[in-house]
Amino acid sequence: MNADTSTRRPFERGVADLRAGRRAVLTAAASGLVFSSALGAAEAAGATARSSPKRCYVIVTDGCRPDEITADLTPNLHRLRAHGMWWPRATSMPVMETIPNHVMMMTGHRPDRTGVPANSFYDRALGEVRDMDQPSDIRVGTVIERLNRQGYTTGTVLSKEYLYGVFGDRATHRWEPQPTLPITNHAPDAFTMAALRDMVTEFDPHFCFVNLGDIDRVGHADLTGTTLKVARTAALANTDRLVGQFVDDLKASGAWRHTMLLVLADHSMDWSVPTNVVSLSSGLEADDLLAGHVQIADNGGADLVYWTGPDADREAAIDRIRDIAQATDGVLKAWDRRADWLRLGPEAGEVVVFCQAGWRFSDPDPLTSNPIPGNHGHPATRAIPFFVAGGHPRVEHGARSPRHARTTDVAPTVASFFGLGTGRYEGKARI
Amino acid sequence: MTTHQTTRRAVLATTAAASAGALTTSLTHTAAAETVDGRPRVDHFQHGVASGDPLPHAVLIWTRVTPTATATPGSGQGPAVTVRWKVARDERMRHVVKSGNVRTSASRDHTVKVDVGGLEPATTYYYRFFLGGQRSRRGRLRTAPTTHATVGDLRLGLVSCANLQAGWFSAYRGIADRDDLDAVLHLGDYLYEYGPGEYGMGPDDIDVRPHDPPHEMVSLSDYRRRHAQYKTDPDLQRAHARHTWITTWDDHEVANDTWKHGAENHTPGPRQDGGEGSFLRRRARAHRAYDEWMPARLNETAKLGDGDRLYRSFRFGDLASISMLDLRTYRDKQAAYPVADGTVSDPSRSITGDAQMAWLKGQLTTGDHAPQWKIIGNPVMIAPVTFADLPNALVDPVNDVTGLIPADGAPYNVDQWDGYTADRREVLTHLRDHQVKDALFVTGDIHSGWACELPLDTSTYPAVGDSFGVEFVCSSVTSNNLKDITGQPQLTPVVETAILANNRHIKYLDFDSHGFSVLDVTAERAQCDWFVIGTRAEKDTDITWSVSYATTAGTQKVQQVDAPVPAKRTDR
Repeated sequence: MNADTSTRRPFERGVADLRAGRRAVLTAAASGLVFSSALGAAEAAGATARSSPKRCYVIVTDGCRPDEITADLTPNLHRLRAHGMWWPRATSMPVMETIPNHVMMMTGHRPDRTGVPANSFYDRALGEVRDMDQPSDIRVGTVIERLNRQGYTTGTVLSKEYLYGVFGDRATHRWEPQPTLPITNHAPDAFTMAALRDMVTEFDPHFCFVNLGDIDRVGHADLTGTTLKVARTAALANTDRLVGQFVDDLKASGAWRHTMLLVLADHSMDWSVPTNVVSLSSGLEADDLLAGHVQIADNGGADLVYWTGPDADREAAIDRIRDIAQATDGVLKAWDRRADWLRLGPEAGEVVVFCQAGWRFSDPDPLTSNPIPGNHGHPATRAIPFFVAGGHPRVEHGARSPRHARTTDVAPTVASFFGLGTGRYEGKARI
Repeated sequence: MTTHQTTRRAVLATTAAASAGALTTSLTHTAAAETVDGRPRVDHFQHGVASGDPLPHAVLIWTRVTPTATATPGSGQGPAVTVRWKVARDERMRHVVKSGNVRTSASRDHTVKVDVGGLEPATTYYYRFFLGGQRSRRGRLRTAPTTHATVGDLRLGLVSCANLQAGWFSAYRGIADRDDLDAVLHLGDYLYEYGPGEYGMGPDDIDVRPHDPPHEMVSLSDYRRRHAQYKTDPDLQRAHARHTWITTWDDHEVANDTWKHGAENHTPGPRQDGGEGSFLRRRARAHRAYDEWMPARLNETAKLGDGDRLYRSFRFGDLASISMLDLRTYRDKQAAYPVADGTVSDPSRSITGDAQMAWLKGQLTTGDHAPQWKIIGNPVMIAPVTFADLPNALVDPVNDVTGLIPADGAPYNVDQWDGYTADRREVLTHLRDHQVKDALFVTGDIHSGWACELPLDTSTYPAVGDSFGVEFVCSSVTSNNLKDITGQPQLTPVVETAILANNRHIKYLDFDSHGFSVLDVTAERAQCDWFVIGTRAEKDTDITWSVSYATTAGTQKVQQVDAPVPAKRTDR
């Protein structure tokens, strides 16, 4: 979860750009849902249209923790995992947020290559903190475009407005999330899954990238998150039911035997109580060196801190920021963004601060900037479900691996499924 | 573990008298009566062979030679000799891949410890030693997989708490009979310091096999002799020869309830005043003997005298790491009974010491490079256990005779992590903050079988169920458990029921069995099987499967499963 300090809704900015620049037709499915599609996508890409029966669906159960997939609570997901290929050690990658990890999934690269390190960042050109929801925010190619160039058709069914924005018109067919709920800016899973089923019925793309936002969005707001997780539990059960229906459709149509279904999350979720709030702004502004020269992009479980003062003072400022952050209750670690393992790139600022489990950031205002209990972005939200199901022969039934699967592995796995090379990716093909 | 304190001191006065008889019945480690050319023929390899500390390309091999009849353990007698060793790929040892000579002498009690390098990963080898025309028994060893190998399965034997006086090592026989273990983890109390009559079998301290030397081990000679005596046990010899071991110590390798500057069973002061000298010197002697006699790398080398750091880690590909802890050498003194408020949670007190804590946390979170399962070889229980709601009618008689349940009404055992709760909180918080999944503690010490989840807050656990790891505790090879001490087995189920009822995160508890466990780890789950022996006093007593519990990957929960893992072969 992020605090958008911009006065414009990110979705509005992204959609405006998208609509202004696209060559698209709008198609109304039988359900009334509307899709936008590129005109003659394969031809535009210079490729010959493929007639392959292979189908691949990547479904992101946004914010789902791996331990939430159980036989009782999510029987459909549990069954798919049990019969498919499972990587129990899978994790999200820093920053454990929605946009960067979806971008990592589709690009196969870490944020220092993709240019998308977090949901919320300080745009030095604009001089404001904004969401990374612009198509141009992604600096490298995606597997979606690669498939298009090979003559495959692709689809994006993304429940969150900023995801729709950042992936733009890359896919052959896009569903604009609607109706979206106020505050959460996402479409409920019932609509998202209806859109996926309609897209399959109407266009039947070879590849679909799907984000289901309910588990995450309900999790953010679940006031019982530290204890009973009442609302969260209901969302999990509902999402599971919808995925089960989709799989039933594929089996009923006979498409399942040609299908690879990759289910994963972009991050997991952690809950805090109202007293466990970290706010760095006042401490940084109270420092003589830093006052007036620091910007913070609050990403819920991670604060990205930017130095906006003179270059000559940058190193000293980084030291001061880290010292102040590290001395603040609830902070797990304040990293120099250039630490090798982070791989976040300059868009992530100078210092990346993670909170402890059970805490959250609220910057700049400790009371109003981030009042929600459920958050992610910090290391306590790394673990994710990651499994492959389906009837295609590439899917090994009952296989389990101790290897460390990552969100960056999705693009090479999809590429491998469609017979494309995987050497260009940082991630590894998991089939 | 803490052993009962009321009887030990009382028997010291009688030790000397008892020891004379003990000598005549102790296990032999002198030469056989056979003669060669009119001279007594000395069996040069009386203490078996062992291998330990497997790395992908190196494993320790160990033996002890007796070059002359007078070169008995701890004697300081006997010539320096050159011992030849060979490592081969085949059981008949025709395809020797490594060999060499190594010198040993009385200065190291004629022990031989070779760090054999240049081996292939995940491979079974066979080895022997040679001296004076004799050859040792053949041992088998197995290297670890490479760091990033994909490993489908890891199977470990788990043992702890083997008191030779308290019975026969049938549990080791069970380990030796298995053909499917990648390694054996010994979680501490490999031997005991007591003299005959001090800590034997049952409430009357019957010595099934009296200790040698026939008094509490204090000197370097004493420690060497005691190690030697244990290494003459045929079941232990077979278990060492059959499998590669990874060991750590608990307290009894030095003295009961050891802490960094003392032990309950150590009396400081000059010998002429009835003391046992400097504790630190005593511990140095104990560690020296351990370094000589055990197939372990202290300070990560096979050299003697270069340090006594025993905490260390092993890696089994992408599947698992094993971090072996030393929870005695660096710990602060146990809280005294009655426990003052706040003592056990005082953050200035530590069970690990700062350096080991930092090392452990690093092992648990090494970024992208940590394997899936983080196994921690943990000498004392980390799961919180409250005894607060045990009926007084049970606590008092139990406390009178056993260290299994804390004394004087304390609601927890201060010799475990329960006595150092700040350290436990630091570990569990670290697991939580970094969302470390699949941290698995395997534990000895408490002479009983347990399967536990690891909550940070036991008060909210019944409602929330948050757990940040699991713990499997193997029972003792022979050391007394509850029924052995109380002599009233009918009490045990009542105690177990009360503990389970008041500690909801504890899913299984068996206070009355001896035996060993087998831990089987795959990407999907880790399963612990408990095997129990019949009667400790009977050498050939039965060994039977008792119960199994498993934890599914990513859950930090345990549940009972119906059957032990099927046998497999590791000779691949």
